[in-house]
Amino acid sequence: MSRQPSNSAIYVVVAAYNEGRVIRATLRPLVALGYSVVVADDGSRDNTWRQLADLGVHRLRHPFNLGQGAALQSAVSYALQQGAAYIAHFDADGQHSLEDLPGLLAPVMAGRADVALGSRFLRKEDWQAVPFSRRVLLKGAVVVNWLLTGLWLTDAHNGARAMTRKAAQRIVLRENGFAHATEILQQIRVHRLRYVERPTRIRYTEYSRLKGQRFWHAFDVFVDLMIRRIFR
Amino acid sequence: MTPIQWLLILVAAAIVVVYFNRLRTRLLDRFIFFVLAVVAIALVLQPEWANDVAHFLGVGRGADLLVYVGFSGLAFLWLGLYSRQRELDRRLTEIARKLALLEAEKGKRAKK
Repeated sequence: MSRQPSNSAIYVVVAAYNEGRVIRATLRPLVALGYSVVVADDGSRDNTWRQLADLGVHRLRHPFNLGQGAALQSAVSYALQQGAAYIAHFDADGQHSLEDLPGLLAPVMAGRADVALGSRFLRKEDWQAVPFSRRVLLKGAVVVNWLLTGLWLTDAHNGARAMTRKAAQRIVLRENGFAHATEILQQIRVHRLRYVERPTRIRYTEYSRLKGQRFWHAFDVFVDLMIRRIFR
Repeated sequence: MTPIQWLLILVAAAIVVVYFNRLRTRLLDRFIFFVLAVVAIALVLQPEWANDVAHFLGVGRGADLLVYVGFSGLAFLWLGLYSRQRELDRRLTEIARKLALLEAEKGKRAKK
């Protein structure tokens, strides 16, 4: 691995909103592995910000809540400022598994792709862990994404991604809410970035289910995307 | 004049006064607004003018015509306000992001 850049050139960016209960457990192993971790606290009203103080992560804070897409973009902007060579997106609630990160980064670091997108539908054991209603919803979102971006993927709204510095500079999120997941795909298309899907496991815990996007969120996201079409 | 005419003219006049005093000062906006107010008051005083225009356009009654025109106008207004809202959101995000980046705290690495 000596010819590869060390893990500190890999910036794992995390958007956090009221994740004080779980954020430390999510971040500690990332820091332990030597990744540079950037957390954007999206105006949390709980103790998220304080929880970040002694973890050895870079932290920045929005003065008020703007949305996950906005927080992600702020974290990415910061990581780029710090000279990140590679950037990985990771959810704050601990639903992604750390073991999947190298798999996401590998094709990007090998130069085979500009962006690697996590998918919970590539390995049997992964998609079997997805509750049925979520499967239906996500597959529906796959179709919507395809209609809006022309990219046919196996998963939608999977927060685990990895990309090169160049790709992160090109993909600029203007969608503050949850529609950023589709916006990323749009920009992959517009900038003709090379992408691959890599397997990721999603842990459906009680916590992530509570925090996770509820069914009606899907409708919100859809409206955001439609409005975006009209108001550029 | 009927009481409703007095009332409507009063409302129109009040809106014009508030608008000219408090809101936009762009000359063109004021002019458009003033013309609209004059038309409104004229239609209140002479409702049959609205009827004439409506008949000309193939609409049964002047009141119906006003509903159609008013609704279209409101829709445009809503769209305009909404796109302004989005623009404001964009600027707010930009400022918040700049602030966050300025005040970002570097992670202390335990060892190198």
